[in-house]
Amino acid sequence: MNKHYWTWPIAFYLFLGGLGGGMLFLAGVFDILYSTGNLGAVQLGAIDSFGSILAPGVFVGIVALGIGTALLVFELGQPKVFLRVFLSATAIIKWGAIMLTIAMFAALIYFTFYLTPILPKGFVLPWQDWLWLRDGARGSMLVFGLGIMLYTGILLSSLKSKPFWNTPALPVLFTVSALSTASALLAATAGLVLTPEFMAGAAGQLYGEALTEFMVEQLHFIDSVLVLAELVVLLTYTLLMLGAGNVVAKNVALGWIKGSNAPLFWGGMIVCGLLLPFLFYQIGGMMATVIAPILVLAAGLLLRFMVIFADDRRSVPGEERYYSRLPKGDEGFLSAWK
Amino acid sequence: MTETIDIHAPGVEVKKSACYFCHQNCGVLAYVLDGKVIKIEGDPQHPTNTGGLCCRGNIALQHIDHPARINHPLKRKGERGGNEWEKISWDQAISEIAERINQIKAESGAEAVATAGGTLRTEDWARRRFMNMFGSPNSFHNALLCWIPTFMVETAVSGWSPFETDLGDSRVVILWGFNPGASGMPGMHGYYDLHKAGLKVIVVDPRYSETAAHADLWLPLRPGSDTALSLALLHVVLFEQLYNQEFVANWCVGFEELWEHMKQYTPEWAAPLTWLEPDLIRQAARMYAKNTPGNIQWGCTADQLGKSSGAGMHARAILRAICGNLDCPGGDLMPGPSQNYLCDEELEANDWLPEEQKAKQIGSNKFKLTSWPGYQRISDVAKETWGKAPTAEWMCEAHGPSVFKAILTGDPYQVRALIVNATNPVNSYGDSKMTLAALKQVEFLVTCDYWMTPAALYSDYVIPIAGALERPTLHTNYGVTDSLMASQRAIQPMYERHTDYSFWRDLALATGQDADQWPWLNEEEVFYYIIYPLGLPVESYDQFVEAYRFYYPPLHFYKYGTNGFCTPSRRVELKSSILEELGYPALPTYIGPAENEEDDPAVAAEYPLVLTTGGGFMPYHHSEQFQIQSVRYLRHEPYFTINPVKAEELRIKEGDWCWIETRRGRIRQRANIEPSVDPRVIYAQRGWWYPERGAEGDEPFGCLESNVNVLSSVDDDHCDPIGGSWANRGLLCKVYKVSYWDTIDTTWSIPGSAAQPGVSVLPSESKLAYEPIPFDTSAPFELPEGLTWDYPTKLAWDIERGLAYDPESGWLYHPETYVYYDLETHYAYDPDTETLVDEEGTRYDMTTKQPIGEAQADATAVENPVGDQPDAATNKAALEQAPAKDEGEEAL
Amino acid sequence: MTRFVMVIDQRRCIGCQSCTVACRTWNELPIDIIYNPVVSEGVLGVWPNVHQTFTPLLCMHCDNPPCTGCCPCKASQQEPDGIVWVDEKKCMGCKVCVNACPYGARDVNHKEGFVRKCNFCKDRVREGEKPYCVNTCHQKARIFGDLDDPTSEVSQLVNSLQVNTIFPELGTNPQVYYIPDLGGGNR
Repeated sequence: MNKHYWTWPIAFYLFLGGLGGGMLFLAGVFDILYSTGNLGAVQLGAIDSFGSILAPGVFVGIVALGIGTALLVFELGQPKVFLRVFLSATAIIKWGAIMLTIAMFAALIYFTFYLTPILPKGFVLPWQDWLWLRDGARGSMLVFGLGIMLYTGILLSSLKSKPFWNTPALPVLFTVSALSTASALLAATAGLVLTPEFMAGAAGQLYGEALTEFMVEQLHFIDSVLVLAELVVLLTYTLLMLGAGNVVAKNVALGWIKGSNAPLFWGGMIVCGLLLPFLFYQIGGMMATVIAPILVLAAGLLLRFMVIFADDRRSVPGEERYYSRLPKGDEGFLSAWK
Repeated sequence: MTETIDIHAPGVEVKKSACYFCHQNCGVLAYVLDGKVIKIEGDPQHPTNTGGLCCRGNIALQHIDHPARINHPLKRKGERGGNEWEKISWDQAISEIAERINQIKAESGAEAVATAGGTLRTEDWARRRFMNMFGSPNSFHNALLCWIPTFMVETAVSGWSPFETDLGDSRVVILWGFNPGASGMPGMHGYYDLHKAGLKVIVVDPRYSETAAHADLWLPLRPGSDTALSLALLHVVLFEQLYNQEFVANWCVGFEELWEHMKQYTPEWAAPLTWLEPDLIRQAARMYAKNTPGNIQWGCTADQLGKSSGAGMHARAILRAICGNLDCPGGDLMPGPSQNYLCDEELEANDWLPEEQKAKQIGSNKFKLTSWPGYQRISDVAKETWGKAPTAEWMCEAHGPSVFKAILTGDPYQVRALIVNATNPVNSYGDSKMTLAALKQVEFLVTCDYWMTPAALYSDYVIPIAGALERPTLHTNYGVTDSLMASQRAIQPMYERHTDYSFWRDLALATGQDADQWPWLNEEEVFYYIIYPLGLPVESYDQFVEAYRFYYPPLHFYKYGTNGFCTPSRRVELKSSILEELGYPALPTYIGPAENEEDDPAVAAEYPLVLTTGGGFMPYHHSEQFQIQSVRYLRHEPYFTINPVKAEELRIKEGDWCWIETRRGRIRQRANIEPSVDPRVIYAQRGWWYPERGAEGDEPFGCLESNVNVLSSVDDDHCDPIGGSWANRGLLCKVYKVSYWDTIDTTWSIPGSAAQPGVSVLPSESKLAYEPIPFDTSAPFELPEGLTWDYPTKLAWDIERGLAYDPESGWLYHPETYVYYDLETHYAYDPDTETLVDEEGTRYDMTTKQPIGEAQADATAVENPVGDQPDAATNKAALEQAPAKDEGEEAL
Repeated sequence: MTRFVMVIDQRRCIGCQSCTVACRTWNELPIDIIYNPVVSEGVLGVWPNVHQTFTPLLCMHCDNPPCTGCCPCKASQQEPDGIVWVDEKKCMGCKVCVNACPYGARDVNHKEGFVRKCNFCKDRVREGEKPYCVNTCHQKARIFGDLDDPTSEVSQLVNSLQVNTIFPELGTNPQVYYIPDLGGGNR
């Protein structure tokens, strides 16, 4: 049985959800770690400037979540009534929707605290000094960002009918991949909107460049580790499925390892998506700052695509033969008489 | 959704309608609101289907208003086949058609107008009535492929063909080339239940069919070898003495000749022909013959073998008879024509057709049993037995392929007009390319149909026909049994559609036939007329449907006990006198199928596989329902079946498009690889065309591309000389993949046969599979002057006086009173006074023939003028004194 | 309590697909939606020792349906009598239930956007009739009724014969029972 009900919009959604959730999570974690100054070796400057460096990533995360959500809604059979999603009590998809909403909302609040560099001079938001609000928003962003990352995997792994998805390892794989893509993009966006005015100011003079560099290095290191972790998890996952004894999952895994999807798996995922970025991070320079993040992001998307199309259901004997003989949809008799 | 259509809403009427998409005529409840059918479902009360409806029945609502349906009479504009039409009124269409066929009749005789029919969608007695009154003997159906030759052969042998089987009390049934699991659906669950209850089921089918799956014994024979199997089964039954000796002794004639004749057909002889182990054949024969009563269910396979058909039918008729299964409880019942309601034959007006027109029936000089010569003989015997005869509209027809050949060749005469009614001849008659050519060529073509078929496309007029739900149906089982099922109209015909009855009636009146001969304005009126003799308290047909719906008289067994069998000798004629008279072997004599490895090794070398084409498959019926999307969706492409072993050998993979080729041409279908057939056998699906494709080109609607009838043969020497069936099964073929550069030319064919589709040998010059066996029907003694010899009664007659001649005594006698008359003077013989008496009562001397004086003519004179009915006493006296009569009369 | 179930007698089924067509006609389904396909692996074995089994599929109306809890809009739901159905007025078409069903019993037509599935002809059943596929089956291979009623045919069949369910190991506890065809005419 190979009718795919979830296709590219859901693949993008899972990718963007993981990416956005991961960015919010990482931004929150970094902000907390560094603002409290407990990373001893580094002398920290103003809290504000550190947040400013992360803020573009947070914004990109919000955008990713937004696009992802839009794709999810777009993919619905009846997009106009998407608000029905909140009706149920138990559905995982409903929890996902709630987490997405809260995370995006919290991140938006957090983000407003760092608008100073781009706001007109002298314009101050009324809540600019409510640090409790910012800390609260940061906490929610962190928690729900993590939730979203896990949720994208759990949504699929909860479906008993899909042997290749229905394993606790899938949320792990998706979370590692989400963190990896998030750190890559967070590094790429770090300090992006530090405006000339800001840089010219005292804080900028003192900390802007250095902090950004420090941040980027940290993130590259983390991503190197994550990429390796993902490599291990992915291979383990695939081998697990290969040996799982479930015929359907085994066939999918075989397809990845030596079937029609093998070039994508080995060439796309393993080599270009994981091994090369690791290598490039070690090389540094443009390779680390530009090429590696692109490869990591592409690999993240590819992974979601490969998984979402691995939605084979175990078929009742004869089902495949039956469906293979049905029309494909473009046959003349379907449209000859209207 | 059911939410939108509420069948329980106020104003919704429930009509007891019927499905009309195959022969079963399942009951349908039609929910009608404001003249529109809003929903249908199977009628749980109906005896046939008890609520069930198959794929075909369920789509009635999609059928009734399908966008491709023809809703108005169409008149051709521009080129033939150009698919340009002018919508005209019904009356205009009828009057123009009438004018044209009247003109053809005036110029070339009525026989130049022919009509083709299809399967049961029509009141075909009305077509026959029209044709008889019009004067043409040339109407035909696909009857010759569908049990009719079997009926006629079995009727010739044993007086009727058992359409009715008393399965409830039966112990064994042979389903011979009969797959109710894909054809007549309602029957299948009955077989299943009976099988479960202990009925032994023997299935003869070259394919592992839905039915074979439920068999106790399955005989997967070589397609087309049914005749060899029948003969071998008969051999086993005879020589293992498994037959009913009492029945044979009392009720069969020709047993000794049969015994001698059958010695040759051993199971070992049949084994290489049928591919069945001799022991399997023996096992089957024993299972059938030892479990009496038993049945051989009706089926069409024997009618589709081509030249070997007749002998197989004959052997099977004998098999039933000698096992004592005829007309006994649990056996093969022979109800004869219904005595309780009017039979179709009584509505056909066959007497209207002059003898000289009967003689012009095309094909009747070759395939005699199923045309006027044989039918007349059987009909006469039936009328003697029951006062009624089998219907002529199926049993006595022109030979369809020969009519198409006559259109193309003008041989034996030019057929100028063809009215096609409820058939798609390109798909359903043999040799499609020839048939298509004939349709393109015929001078005047009218098609009555639901759809734009290839025949309709080439027509001058297309007549929109009302289908299921739009017409009442009275199913009288083609007149071969005595029950009927009745259903009513759900709604009046939509648009300008009319029923076929309206068409024939209107055409009859427009051609100048007498309105008094067509007194029934519509089906309801004529159906009421048909059921009126049942004597039920109903005042209209609709009332009958609502109150009774069907009529099943109680079963009567051993009817032959009173009247004998409906054969010339009143016995089961194992050696058939009717077949003998018509010039056919009187005993079942083997002849191989149209193409076979034994007789045609050179053909088999090039075409090593055996093709079978006839089997039906769900969800289609013949070439119907290909337009109905929800049905087509389930099987949108044709598949032929090939054994995995052969497929591997030919490097064919599942789903590959392949060419299937015979000596007539080739078609393509996709490969369905499964071991349901022998590795040497190909089973191809029938009926395929692609109505969704355009009408353009030489091959409109892809009507030849996947059509198995491109492969079948209607050459005279491939047809059964007895019944005229052509060769659909057991043909030799080859199969190969459709290759990259060989995908387009579907009209490709073998040079010399149909590259230019048509007829290569003139019908009058072509030979039959075997020559008629001369049979002398002349008088065995010298005929006195003025008498006429009549072979069927084996008597010389003074036709003028209705007297028969007794060659031993040289006297004439009255066949009912047995009063004797003098040959020269025609004076009656009075045994009491031993004198002759003339009409006035004057007495004459026996030897001198001179009047005797008044004095001698005393009060004892017998008043017995010729022509008056004698009273019982004289009758008895005459009988006692009559010379010994032959056996047949004794039985009377 | 009432618990509607269906028993499918595979010994009787001949694969005619009447139920498929009947269902889509009665329920007026879009052309590409099939609630009850009749599937088969084809004829298996080695000629002439062969067999074939048909498996008519439909919604299993599971006791533990994986397709209801996952619905975010409460459109996919189960009635107390066991009938699982989708309220098309509530469905937003997220298709999570379609992916959740291990039996492929759900489908979406892109023009309509909502999920469709067999609902045991809920409206007919509530009127005291049988689902349409049961009525239409000439073979009487489909038997419908209340499993909780010990006098019902389904109860007698399920409790007295060896019946199978599809993928019982998934824990869905499907309520469509199959009487297997063991070949040989099943005397």
